[in-house]
Amino acid sequence: MAQQARPRQGLGPGFWPVTVLLAVITAVCDYYVVVTPVTAFLREAASPADQTDELFKFLTFFGVIVMVYTVGYLVYFGIVWRKKTSDPEDTLGIQVHGNFQLELWWTILPTILVIAIGWISVKDWAGIFYAQGGQLAVEAIGYQFGWEFRYPGLANPVADELHLPLGVPTTIHISSRDVIHGFWTPEVRLKQDAVPGLVTTIHITPTEVGTYRIVCSEYCGARHGYMVGKLIIEPKETFTAFLDKQKYAQAHAPKGPSGLPPGVNLASGNASAGQTLFAQKCSACHSLGAFSQKLVGPGLGKIFADSDHPKLVDGAAATPEDAAGIINSGYTGDMGTMPNAKTNGLSNDDIANLVVYLEGVSKGQ
Amino acid sequence: MAVAAPPPSALAEHIHHAPKSFINRYIFTLDHKIIGLQYMIVGSLFFIISGLLAELIRVQLMNSDGRFLSPEHFNELYSVHGSSMVWLVIIPLATGGFGNFVMPLMIGARDVAFPWLNAASFWMFPPAGLILFSSFLVGAPDAGWTEYPPVSLQGPPGTSMWCIAIFLIGISSTLTGINFLVTMLKMRAPGMTFTRMPLFVWAQLATAVLNMVATTALAAALLALFLERTFGIPFYDPSHGGSPVMWQHMFWFYSHPAVYIMILPAFGVISEVLPTFARKPIFGYKMIAFSSIAIALLGFMVWAHHMFTSGMTPWLVLPFMILTFIIAIPTGIKIFSWVATLWGGNIRYTTAMLFAMGFIATFTFGGVTGVFLAAVPADFQEHGTYFVVAHIHYVLFGGSVLGLLAGAYYWFPKMSGRMLNEFWGHVHFWVTFIAFNVTFLPMHWIGLLGMPRRVPVYDPQFTDWNRVASIGSFFLVIGMAIFFINVIWSIKHGKRAGPNPWGARTLEWMTSSPPPYYNFVKVPGVLHMPYEFDQPLPYVGLEPPEQVVSGFKAPMPAGHH
Repeated sequence: MAQQARPRQGLGPGFWPVTVLLAVITAVCDYYVVVTPVTAFLREAASPADQTDELFKFLTFFGVIVMVYTVGYLVYFGIVWRKKTSDPEDTLGIQVHGNFQLELWWTILPTILVIAIGWISVKDWAGIFYAQGGQLAVEAIGYQFGWEFRYPGLANPVADELHLPLGVPTTIHISSRDVIHGFWTPEVRLKQDAVPGLVTTIHITPTEVGTYRIVCSEYCGARHGYMVGKLIIEPKETFTAFLDKQKYAQAHAPKGPSGLPPGVNLASGNASAGQTLFAQKCSACHSLGAFSQKLVGPGLGKIFADSDHPKLVDGAAATPEDAAGIINSGYTGDMGTMPNAKTNGLSNDDIANLVVYLEGVSKGQ
Repeated sequence: MAVAAPPPSALAEHIHHAPKSFINRYIFTLDHKIIGLQYMIVGSLFFIISGLLAELIRVQLMNSDGRFLSPEHFNELYSVHGSSMVWLVIIPLATGGFGNFVMPLMIGARDVAFPWLNAASFWMFPPAGLILFSSFLVGAPDAGWTEYPPVSLQGPPGTSMWCIAIFLIGISSTLTGINFLVTMLKMRAPGMTFTRMPLFVWAQLATAVLNMVATTALAAALLALFLERTFGIPFYDPSHGGSPVMWQHMFWFYSHPAVYIMILPAFGVISEVLPTFARKPIFGYKMIAFSSIAIALLGFMVWAHHMFTSGMTPWLVLPFMILTFIIAIPTGIKIFSWVATLWGGNIRYTTAMLFAMGFIATFTFGGVTGVFLAAVPADFQEHGTYFVVAHIHYVLFGGSVLGLLAGAYYWFPKMSGRMLNEFWGHVHFWVTFIAFNVTFLPMHWIGLLGMPRRVPVYDPQFTDWNRVASIGSFFLVIGMAIFFINVIWSIKHGKRAGPNPWGARTLEWMTSSPPPYYNFVKVPGVLHMPYEFDQPLPYVGLEPPEQVVSGFKAPMPAGHH
């Protein structure tokens, strides 16, 4: 007859001291969870960040309890109930099959916990979806690979920077021009996919002046990782000034992208520098094939003499000056959207180099 | 693996003998055990390939500025890594591999219900892998393992190959699901009622139902994606009237149950390993069995919790959130029952036991972060970030893979007739367990602070933790290398195992190692539950090879104390 591990008495050596010790460890950990502000690690730019942080702390609080007790008992049982070298080989464990009361409790307690977490989550969710908004409504539109933002009273969108006034409940309508993007502002703890053909809405109220990140959180193509924008929260007056400045700039912008941008000297362009730049900055979206060989934007291999070419500028064939203008200003139209030179990080010399390179390619050099 | 000699008894004439030729015996075989091993060999090769793809990802992320690979190549790497780990490694190993080898033995059957179908399922598996990996030649899929349209419609030609490969492996797992379900329902040994089935069989039962029902939705979604990519039929492209969110619903209607397809067999392994090495019955057998079924059923009703930010009707998130919370309850019951199984045990620290206990720790952590993700407002921060990457690796690596490794150490003696080296097994465990946590724990943190997943470059503030993760992942490679070397060495040079080296009680240990072609000379009768260590063996009519019964009482091999 095989022998039982130990006579059956009590819960085994050290059960209650260890249980108390685990309670102490839990209390210490949870004390730090409670007293440490989340803002020590990540700023809160706008509500509902504060509310989400509270939920996060609540979840962590109970997560700590579950982890400390599970791993604690795992390790403790593993040590206390190990087979000693003095135990004969046929020693058995204590032959218990279960304990109804215990099983009942570890069903009921998690159920209560889950109801509590569920209740708080639903409440917070309602807070986010039915939050006050609408004093200001802006649109965020994702495209491969950037963001543009539309403001009331501005005819044209503003690239890459979302300016919002402090303390004004704002509704952001999110959409996409091409594929699915994710509009994520880590400092607001909010994320909503930008889905083509669909407008989704979030409401936020900026609470702290500063410059924050807008991250694309849904894979959207080769340069997804480079798709970042800025959320700039500023005092109301600064925001109004920003809008006025944009209005003025848009009203006085040159019509269309044609014409050589000031400061670009095509004669100084260097084709081999342009080739390197093209590989770095352009090749994710543009092939060197015919105009119709579209990646994201059209193929640019024969751009200045391409039979595939639709009306690029007023129905006329493209000139090097036009190309320089488009690289400088960006493009928005039926073919999609291309960010401007500033967004792409292109200097005036870069523009000249690229145009000279493309001219060479067009001529088959 | 020598074919065991036919038994001496008069029953010999009733036994089907193994085919004589090598090709029929080991290549185009209908034997569930050999098919199981074939799955394991092919699955291990795919595991090595996709693991190395992950290492390239980690090398790239050593620096924030993406100087190692082009964005295009990087995107292809993580997409193929994820796809192949899910469809070509964990699912085939958990069901086709361990399910095939162990389950029929455990229920006292001579084979699965449909051996031809079983072979057909297997032979779809290597081509699916070849198609997926060869997509690198034409431009591999680049939109992650989820391949959301419309961006996957723009993807490289390999995306269509991805559709074909996953479709093929989907057919394979659907057929395996049907096959296993019929086997478990109709071919259990006399006396093996549902409540006498080993818990690994319960887990395979729940998995088979999931495989059978859920995979069809994926097949439809893949077919539509393939047709749209190839012929431009607009299912998903909104500019032609399609719905991109529809793909997400169909994809996750499969892929959430698929998470349970991957984890339930691992649960089953843990439920076998713990009682054996604690030398006591599993704590709360019925609750563990019931919770497998509850998880499988609830698993069908939570798919949209992957889509909280995807723009579906706002109030629809609420039922999915609540149901997801509810799934935490049966999962918690399992975890608590496992820990309670250790209480009062006489625990033997074999490598299998270490992996099982490591599994409990890491999987519980993955479960807790799962609740974080289910809470919608918190998910608005966590979705699509490295927090999700960390969570999925805690449940799929810390869960499924550690569970399957426990199974590998546990059943290797049964499969090969030889023991794995336990010293190197212990080294493998500790290297893997520590390196795993070093690799994936920091990812929670950088995800919460603002690092999205699927990016070849990142904000330089995350560089330090990314380097920690990368260094951890290099040690994971070392750990797995130790394992594979151990396996290859032990097949030839390991200690002879005998039929039952662990002193286990389930039926697969009641025959020789490796089992003969026909598994059991006579179909055994089952008298009670499998984990009653203080009772005589619960089987009648076994005509085991001599050593089986004595092997049960024999001392454990040295090195297990």
